[in-house]
Amino acid sequence: MSRIVILGAGVAGHTAALHLRRLLGKEHQVIVVSPNKLWNWIPSNIWVGVGEMSKEKVVFPLAPIYARKGIEFHQAKAVVLRPEGDTADPTGAVEIEYTEAGRSGEHATLRYDFLINATGPQLKFGATPGLGPDAGNTVSVCTADHAVHAAAELDKVIARMKAGEHLTLVIGTGHGTCTCEGAAFEYVFNVEHKVREEGVRDNATIIYFTNEAQLGDFGVDGMVFDQRGFQTTSKLWTESLFRERGVQAVLGAAATSIEADKVHYETIDGEMHELGFDFAMLLPPFGGVPMKAYARNGDDISDQVFNAAGFMKVDADYTPKPYEEWKASDWPSTYQTPGYNNVFAAGIAFAPPHQISRPMKSPNGTMIAPSPPRTGMPSGVMGKTVALTIVDRIKIGPQAPAHTASMARMGAACVASAGVGLQKGSAASMTMFPVVPDYERFPTGRDVNETRGEIGLAGHWLKLSLHYLFIYKAKAQPGWQLIPE
Amino acid sequence: MTDLTTAADPKAAAQIATAPLPTPQTLKMRKNLPYQFVRYASQNLRIMRMVIKGHH
Repeated sequence: MSRIVILGAGVAGHTAALHLRRLLGKEHQVIVVSPNKLWNWIPSNIWVGVGEMSKEKVVFPLAPIYARKGIEFHQAKAVVLRPEGDTADPTGAVEIEYTEAGRSGEHATLRYDFLINATGPQLKFGATPGLGPDAGNTVSVCTADHAVHAAAELDKVIARMKAGEHLTLVIGTGHGTCTCEGAAFEYVFNVEHKVREEGVRDNATIIYFTNEAQLGDFGVDGMVFDQRGFQTTSKLWTESLFRERGVQAVLGAAATSIEADKVHYETIDGEMHELGFDFAMLLPPFGGVPMKAYARNGDDISDQVFNAAGFMKVDADYTPKPYEEWKASDWPSTYQTPGYNNVFAAGIAFAPPHQISRPMKSPNGTMIAPSPPRTGMPSGVMGKTVALTIVDRIKIGPQAPAHTASMARMGAACVASAGVGLQKGSAASMTMFPVVPDYERFPTGRDVNETRGEIGLAGHWLKLSLHYLFIYKAKAQPGWQLIPE
Repeated sequence: MTDLTTAADPKAAAQIATAPLPTPQTLKMRKNLPYQFVRYASQNLRIMRMVIKGHH
Protein backbone atom coordinates (compact mmCIF):
# COMPACT_ATOMS: atom_id res chain seq x y z
CA MET A 1 0.00 0.00 0.00
CA SER A 2 1.24 3.48 -0.85
CA ARG A 3 0.24 6.80 0.64
CA ILE A 4 0.28 9.80 -1.65
CA VAL A 5 -0.10 13.20 -0.01
CA ILE A 6 -1.02 16.17 -2.20
CA LEU A 7 -0.59 19.65 -0.78
CA GLY A 8 -3.07 22.00 -2.42
CA ALA A 9 -6.35 21.48 -4.25
CA GLY A 10 -6.06 23.99 -7.06
CA VAL A 11 -5.80 23.07 -10.73
CA ALA A 12 -2.55 21.08 -10.37
CA GLY A 13 -3.27 19.37 -7.03
CA HIS A 14 -6.91 18.55 -7.69
CA THR A 15 -6.12 17.18 -11.17
CA ALA A 16 -3.35 15.00 -9.72
CA ALA A 17 -5.63 13.72 -6.94
CA LEU A 18 -8.43 12.73 -9.32
CA HIS A 19 -6.07 10.94 -11.74
CA LEU A 20 -4.26 9.12 -8.92
CA ARG A 21 -7.57 7.94 -7.49
CA ARG A 22 -8.72 6.85 -10.96
CA LEU A 23 -5.55 4.91 -11.75
CA LEU A 24 -4.69 3.36 -8.39
CA GLY A 25 -6.51 0.58 -6.54
CA LYS A 26 -8.33 1.26 -3.28
CA GLU A 27 -5.45 -0.28 -1.33
CA HIS A 28 -3.51 2.92 -2.01
CA GLN A 29 -4.36 6.08 -0.10
CA VAL A 30 -4.72 9.44 -1.83
CA ILE A 31 -4.73 12.31 0.66
CA VAL A 32 -5.34 15.97 -0.15
CA VAL A 33 -4.38 18.78 2.22
CA SER A 34 -5.82 22.19 1.39
CA PRO A 35 -6.46 25.20 3.63
CA ASN A 36 -9.54 26.05 1.57
CA LYS A 37 -12.78 24.12 1.81
CA LEU A 38 -13.93 25.42 -1.58
CA TRP A 39 -12.59 24.77 -5.07
CA ASN A 40 -12.51 27.94 -7.17
CA TRP A 41 -12.46 28.23 -10.97
CA ILE A 42 -10.26 31.31 -10.79
CA PRO A 43 -10.49 32.41 -14.47
CA SER A 44 -14.19 33.23 -13.94
CA ASN A 45 -13.45 35.44 -10.92
CA ILE A 46 -13.11 38.19 -13.53
CA TRP A 47 -16.86 37.98 -14.20
CA VAL A 48 -17.63 37.89 -10.47
CA GLY A 49 -15.49 41.03 -10.14
CA VAL A 50 -17.76 43.00 -12.48
CA GLY A 51 -20.98 41.60 -10.98
CA GLU A 52 -21.83 39.49 -14.03
CA MET A 53 -21.56 36.13 -12.27
CA SER A 54 -22.31 35.08 -8.70
CA LYS A 55 -19.67 33.64 -6.39
CA GLU A 56 -21.68 30.42 -6.14
CA LYS A 57 -21.10 29.74 -9.83
CA VAL A 58 -17.30 29.72 -9.50
CA VAL A 59 -16.85 27.70 -6.29
CA PHE A 60 -17.99 24.36 -4.88
CA PRO A 61 -17.13 22.42 -1.71
CA LEU A 62 -14.29 19.93 -2.04
CA ALA A 63 -15.21 17.55 0.80
CA PRO A 64 -18.27 15.89 -0.88
CA ILE A 65 -16.30 15.29 -4.10
CA TYR A 66 -13.41 13.71 -2.19
CA ALA A 67 -15.80 11.64 -0.03
CA ARG A 68 -17.48 10.29 -3.18
CA LYS A 69 -14.15 9.49 -4.87
CA GLY A 70 -12.50 7.91 -1.81
CA ILE A 71 -9.90 10.64 -1.36
CA GLU A 72 -8.97 11.59 2.21
CA PHE A 73 -9.28 15.33 2.74
CA HIS A 74 -7.71 17.48 5.42
CA GLN A 75 -8.68 21.14 5.50
CA ALA A 76 -5.30 22.29 6.68
CA LYS A 77 -2.11 24.00 5.57
CA ALA A 78 1.30 22.34 5.37
CA VAL A 79 3.87 24.00 7.62
CA VAL A 80 6.86 21.63 7.80
CA LEU A 81 8.25 19.16 5.31
CA ARG A 82 10.51 16.30 6.43
CA PRO A 83 11.49 14.57 3.17
CA GLU A 84 13.88 12.20 4.98
CA GLY A 85 11.50 11.53 7.85
CA ASP A 86 12.63 12.12 11.42
CA THR A 87 14.62 10.33 14.10
CA ALA A 88 11.64 8.06 14.84
CA ASP A 89 10.87 7.01 11.26
CA PRO A 90 12.71 7.48 7.92
CA THR A 91 9.43 7.75 6.00
CA GLY A 92 8.85 11.23 4.58
CA ALA A 93 6.43 13.36 6.54
CA VAL A 94 4.59 16.63 6.34
CA GLU A 95 3.33 18.52 9.35
CA ILE A 96 0.01 20.24 8.87
CA GLU A 97 -2.03 22.82 10.76
CA TYR A 98 -5.80 22.61 10.44
CA THR A 99 -7.78 25.61 9.19
CA GLU A 100 -11.16 23.87 9.43
CA ALA A 101 -13.67 25.51 11.77
CA GLY A 102 -13.55 23.71 15.11
CA ARG A 103 -10.04 22.30 14.54
CA SER A 104 -8.25 25.56 13.72
CA GLY A 105 -4.66 25.57 14.96
CA GLU A 106 -4.60 21.81 15.63
CA HIS A 107 -1.45 20.08 14.29
CA ALA A 108 -0.93 16.63 12.78
CA THR A 109 1.81 14.72 10.98
CA LEU A 110 1.09 12.83 7.76
CA ARG A 111 3.60 10.22 6.54
CA TYR A 112 3.85 9.74 2.80
CA ASP A 113 5.41 7.49 0.18
CA PHE A 114 4.93 10.18 -2.46
CA LEU A 115 4.34 13.89 -2.03
CA ILE A 116 3.07 16.46 -4.53
CA ASN A 117 3.52 20.08 -3.56
CA ALA A 118 0.80 21.95 -5.44
CA THR A 119 0.26 24.67 -2.88
CA GLY A 120 -0.16 27.42 -5.46
CA PRO A 121 0.71 31.01 -4.68
CA GLN A 122 0.93 33.00 -1.51
CA LEU A 123 -0.73 36.31 -2.40
CA LYS A 124 1.91 38.77 -1.20
CA PHE A 125 -0.14 41.94 -0.80
CA GLY A 126 2.33 42.98 1.90
CA ALA A 127 5.07 43.42 -0.73
CA THR A 128 3.71 46.89 -1.59
CA PRO A 129 2.49 49.12 1.26
CA GLY A 130 -1.19 49.94 0.76
CA LEU A 131 -1.85 47.09 -1.68
CA GLY A 132 -4.84 44.78 -1.31
CA PRO A 133 -8.40 44.68 -0.09
CA ASP A 134 -7.70 43.73 3.54
CA ALA A 135 -5.07 46.16 4.82
CA GLY A 136 -4.73 48.28 1.70
CA ASN A 137 -6.49 50.64 -0.66
CA THR A 138 -7.06 48.47 -3.72
CA VAL A 139 -9.37 45.64 -4.66
CA SER A 140 -8.40 42.23 -6.07
CA VAL A 141 -9.96 39.41 -8.09
CA CYS A 142 -7.52 36.72 -6.89
CA THR A 143 -10.14 34.91 -4.81
CA ALA A 144 -13.90 34.64 -5.21
CA ASP A 145 -14.45 36.72 -2.05
CA HIS A 146 -12.04 39.38 -3.31
CA ALA A 147 -13.97 39.47 -6.59
CA VAL A 148 -17.30 39.92 -4.80
CA HIS A 149 -15.78 42.88 -2.93
CA ALA A 150 -14.33 44.30 -6.18
CA ALA A 151 -17.77 44.17 -7.83
CA ALA A 152 -19.35 46.04 -4.90
CA GLU A 153 -16.66 48.76 -5.07
CA LEU A 154 -17.06 48.99 -8.85
CA ASP A 155 -20.82 49.49 -8.39
CA LYS A 156 -20.08 52.42 -6.09
CA VAL A 157 -17.90 54.20 -8.66
CA ILE A 158 -20.45 53.51 -11.40
CA ALA A 159 -23.12 55.14 -9.20
CA ARG A 160 -20.86 58.18 -8.75
CA MET A 161 -20.27 58.41 -12.50
CA LYS A 162 -24.03 58.20 -13.07
CA ALA A 163 -24.28 61.19 -10.73
CA GLY A 164 -22.00 63.09 -13.10
CA GLU A 165 -18.52 62.64 -11.62
CA HIS A 166 -15.56 61.90 -13.90
CA LEU A 167 -13.49 59.15 -12.29
CA THR A 168 -10.21 57.33 -12.90
CA LEU A 169 -10.12 53.53 -12.79
CA VAL A 170 -6.68 51.94 -12.55
CA ILE A 171 -6.31 48.21 -13.16
CA GLY A 172 -3.15 46.16 -13.36
CA THR A 173 -0.20 44.94 -11.33
CA GLY A 174 0.64 46.09 -7.81
CA HIS A 175 4.35 45.24 -7.80
CA GLY A 176 7.27 45.16 -10.22
CA THR A 177 7.46 41.35 -10.22
CA CYS A 178 3.79 40.40 -10.56
CA THR A 179 2.61 37.64 -12.84
CA CYS A 180 -0.85 36.89 -14.36
CA GLU A 181 -0.96 40.10 -16.44
CA GLY A 182 -3.59 38.28 -18.52
CA ALA A 183 -6.00 38.48 -15.57
CA ALA A 184 -5.46 42.23 -15.22
CA PHE A 185 -5.89 42.60 -18.99
CA GLU A 186 -9.19 40.71 -18.78
CA TYR A 187 -10.42 42.76 -15.87
CA VAL A 188 -9.61 46.10 -17.48
CA PHE A 189 -11.64 45.25 -20.58
CA ASN A 190 -14.51 43.75 -18.58
CA VAL A 191 -14.65 46.95 -16.53
CA GLU A 192 -14.56 49.01 -19.73
CA HIS A 193 -17.40 46.87 -21.13
CA LYS A 194 -19.37 47.23 -17.89
CA VAL A 195 -19.12 51.04 -17.69
CA ARG A 196 -20.06 51.25 -21.38
CA GLU A 197 -23.12 49.07 -20.80
CA GLU A 198 -24.02 51.26 -17.81
CA GLY A 199 -23.90 54.32 -20.06
CA VAL A 200 -21.09 56.11 -18.20
CA ARG A 201 -18.08 55.36 -20.42
CA ASP A 202 -17.53 59.07 -21.12
CA ASN A 203 -17.13 59.69 -17.40
CA ALA A 204 -14.39 57.10 -16.95
CA THR A 205 -10.68 57.32 -17.59
CA ILE A 206 -9.53 53.70 -17.63
CA ILE A 207 -5.83 52.98 -17.21
CA TYR A 208 -4.04 49.63 -17.49
CA PHE A 209 -1.09 49.86 -15.08
CA THR A 210 1.49 47.16 -15.70
CA ASN A 211 5.01 45.94 -15.03
CA GLU A 212 5.21 44.75 -18.65
CA ALA A 213 7.72 46.80 -20.67
CA GLN A 214 5.31 46.72 -23.60
CA LEU A 215 1.70 45.79 -24.19
CA GLY A 216 1.10 42.20 -25.26
CA ASP A 217 4.03 40.81 -23.26
CA PHE A 218 1.71 38.84 -20.91
CA GLY A 219 4.72 37.53 -18.99
CA VAL A 220 5.69 35.28 -21.91
CA ASP A 221 7.91 37.80 -23.75
CA GLY A 222 5.10 38.54 -26.20
CA MET A 223 4.16 36.47 -29.21
CA VAL A 224 4.53 36.56 -32.96
CA PHE A 225 1.35 35.70 -34.84
CA ASP A 226 0.92 34.63 -38.43
CA GLN A 227 -2.07 36.64 -39.64
CA ARG A 228 -3.34 36.69 -43.20
CA GLY A 229 0.08 36.00 -44.65
CA PHE A 230 1.96 38.45 -42.45
CA GLN A 231 3.74 38.03 -39.18
CA THR A 232 2.50 40.44 -36.56
CA THR A 233 3.19 40.78 -32.87
CA SER A 234 1.02 40.52 -29.78
CA LYS A 235 2.28 44.06 -29.02
CA LEU A 236 0.67 45.59 -32.10
CA TRP A 237 -2.43 43.42 -31.72
CA THR A 238 -2.90 44.46 -28.07
CA GLU A 239 -2.19 48.14 -28.76
CA SER A 240 -4.90 48.02 -31.42
CA LEU A 241 -7.42 46.76 -28.85
CA PHE A 242 -6.40 49.49 -26.38
CA ARG A 243 -6.85 52.13 -29.09
CA GLU A 244 -10.20 50.73 -30.18
CA ARG A 245 -11.55 50.66 -26.60
CA GLY A 246 -9.96 53.95 -25.48
CA VAL A 247 -7.98 52.40 -22.62
CA GLN A 248 -4.74 54.11 -21.57
CA ALA A 249 -1.64 52.25 -20.40
CA VAL A 250 1.21 52.88 -17.99
CA LEU A 251 4.06 50.55 -18.93
CA GLY A 252 7.11 49.24 -17.09
CA ALA A 253 5.73 50.39 -13.76
CA ALA A 254 6.57 49.06 -10.29
CA ALA A 255 4.11 50.25 -7.64
CA THR A 256 6.10 51.29 -4.57
CA SER A 257 3.27 52.36 -2.25
CA ILE A 258 -0.43 53.01 -2.51
CA GLU A 259 -2.41 55.66 -0.68
CA ALA A 260 -6.21 55.87 -0.49
CA ASP A 261 -6.39 57.74 -3.79
CA LYS A 262 -3.02 57.46 -5.48
CA VAL A 263 -0.37 54.95 -6.42
CA HIS A 264 3.30 55.86 -6.22
CA TYR A 265 5.46 54.04 -8.72
CA GLU A 266 8.86 53.77 -10.32
CA THR A 267 9.41 53.23 -14.02
CA ILE A 268 12.21 51.37 -15.80
CA ASP A 269 14.10 54.65 -16.33
CA GLY A 270 14.30 55.07 -12.53
CA GLU A 271 11.88 58.02 -12.45
CA MET A 272 9.33 58.18 -9.63
CA HIS A 273 5.70 59.06 -10.42
CA GLU A 274 2.25 59.10 -8.91
CA LEU A 275 -1.12 58.31 -10.39
CA GLY A 276 -4.46 59.27 -8.82
CA PHE A 277 -7.37 56.86 -8.84
CA ASP A 278 -10.95 56.50 -7.66
CA PHE A 279 -10.99 52.72 -8.10
CA ALA A 280 -7.98 50.42 -8.35
CA MET A 281 -7.71 46.68 -8.90
CA LEU A 282 -4.05 45.79 -8.62
CA LEU A 283 -2.78 42.23 -8.49
CA PRO A 284 -0.26 41.17 -5.83
CA PRO A 285 3.04 39.42 -6.54
CA PHE A 286 3.10 35.70 -5.86
CA GLY A 287 5.40 33.86 -3.49
CA GLY A 288 5.62 30.23 -2.55
CA VAL A 289 3.41 29.15 0.34
CA PRO A 290 5.74 29.36 3.35
CA MET A 291 6.96 26.00 4.54
CA LYS A 292 10.10 24.89 6.35
CA ALA A 293 12.03 21.76 5.39
CA TYR A 294 14.18 19.70 7.75
CA ALA A 295 16.63 16.83 7.24
CA ARG A 296 16.31 13.66 9.30
CA ASN A 297 18.84 14.98 11.83
CA GLY A 298 16.82 18.16 12.28
CA ASP A 299 19.02 20.43 10.13
CA ASP A 300 17.12 23.18 8.34
CA ILE A 301 17.29 22.36 4.61
CA SER A 302 14.68 24.92 3.50
CA ASP A 303 17.27 26.72 1.31
CA GLN A 304 18.07 23.44 -0.42
CA VAL A 305 14.43 22.54 -1.11
CA PHE A 306 12.94 25.98 -1.79
CA ASN A 307 14.22 29.05 -3.64
CA ALA A 308 14.35 32.53 -2.08
CA ALA A 309 10.73 33.24 -3.06
CA GLY A 310 9.56 30.02 -1.38
CA PHE A 311 8.95 27.99 -4.54
CA MET A 312 10.09 24.36 -4.56
CA LYS A 313 13.15 23.50 -6.63
CA VAL A 314 12.65 20.80 -9.24
CA ASP A 315 14.56 19.40 -12.23
CA ALA A 316 15.26 22.81 -13.78
CA ASP A 317 18.62 24.41 -14.56
CA TYR A 318 18.85 27.13 -11.93
CA THR A 319 22.32 28.35 -12.97
CA PRO A 320 22.13 32.17 -13.08
CA LYS A 321 22.73 33.37 -16.64
CA PRO A 322 21.91 36.39 -18.78
CA TYR A 323 18.71 36.59 -20.88
CA GLU A 324 20.64 35.91 -24.08
CA GLU A 325 21.74 32.50 -22.73
CA TRP A 326 18.33 31.32 -21.54
CA LYS A 327 17.28 28.09 -23.18
CA ALA A 328 14.08 26.11 -23.41
CA SER A 329 16.00 23.20 -21.87
CA ASP A 330 16.44 25.21 -18.64
CA TRP A 331 12.80 24.45 -17.86
CA PRO A 332 11.85 21.38 -15.82
CA SER A 333 10.08 18.41 -17.35
CA THR A 334 9.51 15.88 -14.55
CA TYR A 335 8.89 18.31 -11.64
CA GLN A 336 10.82 15.97 -9.34
CA THR A 337 12.70 17.60 -6.47
CA PRO A 338 16.49 17.02 -6.61
CA GLY A 339 17.59 14.36 -4.14
CA TYR A 340 14.07 13.04 -3.47
CA ASN A 341 12.54 10.89 -6.19
CA ASN A 342 9.21 10.75 -4.35
CA VAL A 343 8.71 14.52 -3.97
CA PHE A 344 7.28 16.67 -6.79
CA ALA A 345 6.10 20.25 -7.21
CA ALA A 346 3.48 21.16 -9.80
CA GLY A 347 1.72 24.33 -10.88
CA ILE A 348 2.72 27.64 -9.34
CA ALA A 349 4.52 25.81 -6.51
CA PHE A 350 7.55 24.84 -8.62
CA ALA A 351 10.46 27.25 -8.86
CA PRO A 352 10.91 28.50 -12.44
CA PRO A 353 14.52 28.73 -13.61
CA HIS A 354 14.07 32.37 -14.66
CA GLN A 355 11.48 34.70 -16.14
CA ILE A 356 10.24 34.24 -19.70
CA SER A 357 10.03 37.98 -20.42
CA ARG A 358 13.24 39.95 -20.73
CA PRO A 359 14.20 41.04 -17.20
CA MET A 360 14.38 44.80 -16.66
CA LYS A 361 15.95 46.63 -13.76
CA SER A 362 15.66 50.34 -13.06
CA PRO A 363 18.86 52.32 -12.36
CA ASN A 364 17.80 52.15 -8.70
CA GLY A 365 18.01 48.35 -8.84
CA THR A 366 14.26 47.74 -8.81
CA MET A 367 13.31 44.62 -10.75
CA ILE A 368 10.46 45.44 -13.13
CA ALA A 369 9.59 42.32 -15.09
CA PRO A 370 6.68 39.91 -15.14
CA SER A 371 7.24 36.60 -13.40
CA PRO A 372 6.50 33.59 -15.60
CA PRO A 373 2.86 32.45 -15.62
CA ARG A 374 2.34 28.75 -14.84
CA THR A 375 -1.35 28.58 -14.17
CA GLY A 376 -4.34 27.04 -15.95
CA MET A 377 -3.66 24.62 -18.76
CA PRO A 378 0.07 24.03 -17.93
CA SER A 379 -0.77 23.52 -14.24
CA GLY A 380 -3.31 20.82 -15.04
CA VAL A 381 -0.89 19.08 -17.39
CA MET A 382 1.85 19.13 -14.73
CA GLY A 383 -0.56 17.68 -12.15
CA LYS A 384 -1.52 14.82 -14.45
CA THR A 385 2.10 14.20 -15.50
CA VAL A 386 3.30 13.89 -11.92
CA ALA A 387 0.33 11.62 -11.11
CA LEU A 388 1.27 9.32 -14.02
CA THR A 389 4.88 9.15 -12.79
CA ILE A 390 3.74 8.17 -9.31
CA VAL A 391 1.34 5.54 -10.68
CA ASP A 392 4.22 3.97 -12.68
CA ARG A 393 6.55 4.02 -9.69
CA ILE A 394 3.93 2.25 -7.59
CA LYS A 395 2.96 -0.29 -10.25
CA ILE A 396 6.37 -0.87 -11.93
CA GLY A 397 8.81 0.15 -9.24
CA PRO A 398 10.94 3.13 -8.20
CA GLN A 399 13.10 2.70 -11.33
CA ALA A 400 10.18 3.63 -13.61
CA PRO A 401 11.14 6.69 -15.64
CA ALA A 402 9.28 9.88 -14.94
CA HIS A 403 6.67 11.20 -17.36
CA THR A 404 7.60 14.57 -18.79
CA ALA A 405 5.76 17.78 -19.65
CA SER A 406 8.06 20.76 -20.07
CA MET A 407 6.48 24.18 -20.55
CA ALA A 408 8.92 24.48 -23.44
CA ARG A 409 7.17 21.54 -25.13
CA MET A 410 3.54 22.23 -24.32
CA GLY A 411 1.10 24.76 -25.62
CA ALA A 412 -1.44 26.85 -23.81
CA ALA A 413 -4.61 28.70 -24.59
CA CYS A 414 -5.34 32.00 -22.93
CA VAL A 415 -8.84 33.27 -23.47
CA ALA A 416 -8.94 36.79 -22.10
CA SER A 417 -12.49 37.99 -21.68
CA ALA A 418 -13.13 41.51 -22.91
CA GLY A 419 -16.81 41.71 -22.03
CA VAL A 420 -19.72 39.39 -21.24
CA GLY A 421 -22.93 38.58 -23.08
CA LEU A 422 -23.95 35.73 -25.38
CA GLN A 423 -24.35 38.20 -28.25
CA LYS A 424 -22.50 41.28 -27.00
CA GLY A 425 -19.55 39.53 -25.36
CA SER A 426 -16.00 39.51 -26.62
CA ALA A 427 -12.68 37.94 -25.82
CA ALA A 428 -9.12 37.96 -27.01
CA SER A 429 -8.28 34.31 -27.60
CA MET A 430 -4.60 33.47 -27.73
CA THR A 431 -2.96 30.15 -28.29
CA MET A 432 0.76 29.72 -28.00
CA PHE A 433 3.00 26.79 -28.69
CA PRO A 434 5.17 26.31 -26.77
CA VAL A 435 4.61 28.42 -23.65
CA VAL A 436 8.34 28.93 -23.14
CA PRO A 437 9.90 30.13 -26.41
CA ASP A 438 12.39 27.77 -27.99
CA TYR A 439 14.59 29.72 -30.40
CA GLU A 440 16.50 26.57 -31.36
CA ARG A 441 13.31 25.06 -32.84
CA PHE A 442 11.47 28.13 -34.05
CA PRO A 443 12.91 31.40 -35.45
CA THR A 444 10.29 33.43 -33.55
CA GLY A 445 10.54 31.23 -30.46
CA ARG A 446 7.16 29.64 -31.14
CA ASP A 447 5.36 27.75 -33.89
CA VAL A 448 3.62 30.55 -35.83
CA ASN A 449 1.02 28.11 -37.15
CA GLU A 450 -0.15 27.32 -33.63
CA THR A 451 0.45 30.72 -32.04
CA ARG A 452 -2.58 32.84 -32.83
CA GLY A 453 -4.54 35.77 -31.54
CA GLU A 454 -8.13 36.48 -32.37
CA ILE A 455 -10.73 38.90 -31.01
CA GLY A 456 -14.46 38.31 -31.20
CA LEU A 457 -17.65 36.88 -29.77
CA ALA A 458 -16.40 33.31 -30.35
CA GLY A 459 -13.76 33.91 -27.69
CA HIS A 460 -16.46 34.72 -25.16
CA TRP A 461 -18.29 31.50 -26.03
CA LEU A 462 -15.00 29.63 -25.69
CA LYS A 463 -14.29 31.07 -22.24
CA LEU A 464 -17.84 30.27 -21.14
CA SER A 465 -17.50 26.70 -22.48
CA LEU A 466 -14.24 26.28 -20.56
CA HIS A 467 -15.96 27.56 -17.41
CA TYR A 468 -18.64 24.85 -17.55
CA LEU A 469 -16.32 22.13 -18.87
CA PHE A 470 -13.64 22.55 -16.20
CA ILE A 471 -16.11 22.84 -13.33
CA TYR A 472 -17.73 19.62 -14.62
CA LYS A 473 -14.30 17.99 -14.72
CA ALA A 474 -13.31 19.28 -11.27
CA LYS A 475 -16.54 17.89 -9.84
CA ALA A 476 -15.45 14.49 -11.23
CA GLN A 477 -18.75 14.01 -13.02
CA PRO A 478 -19.08 10.97 -15.36
CA GLY A 479 -16.46 11.00 -18.12
CA TRP A 480 -14.44 13.82 -16.48
CA GLN A 481 -11.18 12.15 -17.47
CA LEU A 482 -12.04 12.58 -21.16
CA ILE A 483 -11.81 16.36 -20.81
CA PRO A 484 -8.17 17.24 -21.44
CA GLU A 485 -6.24 19.37 -19.01
CA MET B 1 -8.77 59.42 -28.48
CA THR B 2 -6.42 59.89 -25.53
CA ASP B 3 -4.87 63.34 -25.23
CA LEU B 4 -1.13 62.65 -25.41
CA THR B 5 -0.32 65.75 -23.31
CA THR B 6 -2.45 64.59 -20.37
CA ALA B 7 -1.96 60.82 -20.67
CA ALA B 8 -0.57 59.07 -17.60
CA ASP B 9 2.22 57.59 -19.75
CA PRO B 10 2.65 59.76 -22.88
CA LYS B 11 5.10 57.31 -24.48
CA ALA B 12 2.65 54.42 -24.15
CA ALA B 13 -0.17 56.68 -25.35
CA ALA B 14 1.84 57.60 -28.45
CA GLN B 15 2.42 53.92 -29.25
CA ILE B 16 -1.27 53.09 -28.79
CA ALA B 17 -2.27 56.07 -30.95
CA THR B 18 -0.36 54.65 -33.92
CA ALA B 19 -1.74 51.10 -33.65
CA PRO B 20 -4.04 50.02 -36.47
CA LEU B 21 -7.75 50.27 -35.82
CA PRO B 22 -10.06 47.48 -36.97
CA THR B 23 -12.18 48.38 -39.99
CA PRO B 24 -15.97 48.63 -39.62
CA GLN B 25 -16.20 45.32 -41.51
CA THR B 26 -13.85 43.63 -39.01
CA LEU B 27 -15.87 44.97 -36.08
CA LYS B 28 -19.05 43.71 -37.70
CA MET B 29 -17.60 40.24 -38.32
CA ARG B 30 -16.46 40.02 -34.68
CA LYS B 31 -20.14 39.94 -33.75
CA ASN B 32 -21.56 38.13 -36.79
CA LEU B 33 -23.16 34.98 -35.36
CA PRO B 34 -22.61 32.50 -38.25
CA TYR B 35 -19.02 33.68 -38.77
CA GLN B 36 -18.29 33.58 -35.04
CA PHE B 37 -19.72 30.07 -34.83
CA VAL B 38 -17.18 28.98 -37.44
CA ARG B 39 -14.43 30.78 -35.50
CA TYR B 40 -15.59 29.05 -32.30
CA ALA B 41 -15.31 25.64 -33.95
CA SER B 42 -11.94 26.57 -35.41
CA GLN B 43 -10.54 27.76 -32.07
CA ASN B 44 -11.72 24.59 -30.36
CA LEU B 45 -10.03 22.47 -33.02
CA ARG B 46 -6.80 24.44 -32.65
CA ILE B 47 -6.80 23.93 -28.90
CA MET B 48 -7.49 20.21 -29.29
CA ARG B 49 -4.67 19.91 -31.84
CA MET B 50 -2.34 21.61 -29.39
CA VAL B 51 -3.45 19.27 -26.60
CA ILE B 52 -2.77 16.21 -28.75
CA LYS B 53 0.51 17.60 -30.09
CA GLY B 54 2.16 18.91 -27.02
CA HIS B 55 0.76 17.77 -23.74
CA HIS B 56 2.71 14.55 -23.26
